Amino acid sequence: MVLQAFGGVGVDRTPARLLRWGWRLGCALCLLANIHMGWAQEIRFAIAQAPLTLDPRYAVDAASERINRLLYRSLVDFDAQGRPVPALATWQVHDPWHVSFTLGREGRRFHDGSWLTAQDVVATYRSLLALEDAPHAAEFANIAAMDAPNADTVVFTLKDPDADFPARLVMGILPAHLIARHHDFSRQPVGSGPLRLVEWNRTLRLERVADRQAIVLEEVRDPTVRVLKLLRGETDLLQGDLPPELVRYLKRQPGIRVEETAGTNFSYLGFNLQDPLLKNPRVRRAVALAIDRDAIIRQVLIGGSRPATAILPPEHWAGNPALQPLPYDPAQARRLLQESGLALPLKLTLKTSTDMQRLRLATILQAQMKKAGIDLRIRSLDWGTFFDDVRHGKFQLYSLTWVGVRTPDIYRRAFHSASVPPTGANRGRLRDVELDALLKRRDWPAATARIHALLPYVPLWYEGQFLALGRGLQMRAPAPDGNWDGLATITRGVSQ
Amino acid sequence: MKSWSLVIPLFWVVAAAVAPLLGLQPDVIHLEHILRTPDWDAWLGSDDLGRDILARLLAGARVSLTVAMTVTVVAGVAGTLLGLVSGYFGGWLDRLLMRVTDVFQAFPGILLAIAFAAVLGPGLGNLILALCLTSWVGYARLTRAQALSLRARQHVEAARALGGSPWYVMRRHVLPLLAAPLIVEATYGIAGLVVAEASLSFLGLGIQPPHASWGAMLRDGVRYLLVAPHYVLAAGLSLMSLVLAVNVLGDGLRDAWDVRT
Repeated sequence: MVLQAFGGVGVDRTPARLLRWGWRLGCALCLLANIHMGWAQEIRFAIAQAPLTLDPRYAVDAASERINRLLYRSLVDFDAQGRPVPALATWQVHDPWHVSFTLGREGRRFHDGSWLTAQDVVATYRSLLALEDAPHAAEFANIAAMDAPNADTVVFTLKDPDADFPARLVMGILPAHLIARHHDFSRQPVGSGPLRLVEWNRTLRLERVADRQAIVLEEVRDPTVRVLKLLRGETDLLQGDLPPELVRYLKRQPGIRVEETAGTNFSYLGFNLQDPLLKNPRVRRAVALAIDRDAIIRQVLIGGSRPATAILPPEHWAGNPALQPLPYDPAQARRLLQESGLALPLKLTLKTSTDMQRLRLATILQAQMKKAGIDLRIRSLDWGTFFDDVRHGKFQLYSLTWVGVRTPDIYRRAFHSASVPPTGANRGRLRDVELDALLKRRDWPAATARIHALLPYVPLWYEGQFLALGRGLQMRAPAPDGNWDGLATITRGVSQ
Repeated sequence: MKSWSLVIPLFWVVAAAVAPLLGLQPDVIHLEHILRTPDWDAWLGSDDLGRDILARLLAGARVSLTVAMTVTVVAGVAGTLLGLVSGYFGGWLDRLLMRVTDVFQAFPGILLAIAFAAVLGPGLGNLILALCLTSWVGYARLTRAQALSLRARQHVEAARALGGSPWYVMRRHVLPLLAAPLIVEATYGIAGLVVAEASLSFLGLGIQPPHASWGAMLRDGVRYLLVAPHYVLAAGLSLMSLVLAVNVLGDGLRDAWDVRT
């Protein structure tokens, strides 16, 4: 009867035929079960913005940098205090011009099966220096020569002494044979990191090399939709890019675990020191005194946010714990402006992007400054126009955040007289001979104290980091710079 | 005509007019009241900066109606004049003016307004200018079409035969007959402009902080839909009530005056 139902008239009713049908049915069921189990066991991560490129030589956006840390391995990484520590290699400084790196045994198998050698390291950095449009190439312009005397050793020869040189070698290493073939690493990355790319269509499908755990990254731009997806179980993990109110909302939801940690990404208010009003240090100080950072941190920032005094936090090896945050004193701010002979209200314009949280913070700054006699006008611009204006000095005040800064070299980039864009990031056009000398001597405590006194910017806060996990997921606390390294060890525990 | 379609716009006009006299503080921030739910102190609750939502709704209505009225008057006068000249005189002038309107009509109005607003920069003045640059086309096309038929009417020809100058004939004998369709067009135009202003402010190209705008309130409110739905509902329902009522009013006027546009 069953055969009748399957085959109808004329069906071969032998046992062999029956077995074949049974086999096909079993295979189909197994396939369905496998698909279902695979879907159920993969770890889904909803991100606000998809990466732009998976080629570490070109990556500049946060999402690309964070994924590339997982796809590739670099020679050097950083510890919690921002000191360079060995990753793929240990190093030895022979003299101020020569540094050699010796590759260890860990993490040297590329995803295509080949073995990572010193030649790959040399090929990676040579290809970077040869690329005219690579944004990171300028950081390595000091390299005079690279040699690989054996498969495990690379010797860098520098044009000028650079004590920070090992800390610069944090870019992922690519296979030399694929570089020679002009492989498209931006869409088909091949590294030796803990994760490898399986597929990148609408979502980014990754696989952990150690245990073949599937991890799927899906771009979901709207923060409310990201939260709803987590609550409905359509995603397992959220990290960063949510308004604090939604983070607090998630904390109240059953089955969702939220972890917050102190951050290191530094938000600040930049001054244009060529502006007739803002070149006066009293006016800059008045602006700084008019901001109630504590109230903002308490009410509108994520837990783990804290007042800032310099780009690098106090716990960084080059941080300066002696610096004190500027107090909130609108009366003193008003007095300073009056003593400067300025008519109040003082009209200033703050440029910012159209990002909702940035606009919200700008509106609070506007209200706080009003009490000090400052009429702050807000100009919100699309990101491209805004950043172009900042680079070209077309602003009075602007607000931005330094993300993922690890080395004190940032102070030279941001404040040295020779670092005015396009050669550096001295966007406020600060020119101070004494500071230049301190930066050259690498006297970081004195340099940061000098910057604090000159006030070319108002340090605002280090933004906290958070992580929201769905039911049963285990992952270490979010990193202070918001990286996604936790994906290398995340596990799906027993469902509760 | 539905009476509520007249009452609601009147309510918003009166509310927008008297709001400054009520001593409300739509721009004053109270961080400790962020996203407060409605209570006796704040009837519609507080927004994401602790500002009173009711006060901001009234301030937003003022902005919306100011933009809509100003643009309607400026674009209506400009479009009507161009259409009248084009339709009445005809010939090369008509062809030239109609090609210009064709160029403007080739782009969706809101996209053109976004492009103008992006080039001009944000702000109330630039917002009005951007909307004026895109809103005159409808009046020009309507007026031209009407003028083409009206100029052949006997009373117009009689006025011309009696030696009336073109401007005199247009002003005294053509324009009065255009009033009804133009008023209906303006009514629909106001509803469209309220939505356009909200759209541009939603995109950050309109009113700048700290000033209130329904579009900006909608944009901010959507972010907090899960934790403070009252915020986005207040702005959304206000916008919907005004646009719906003005559209129904336009329908009523069209039916009452038997206008065929």
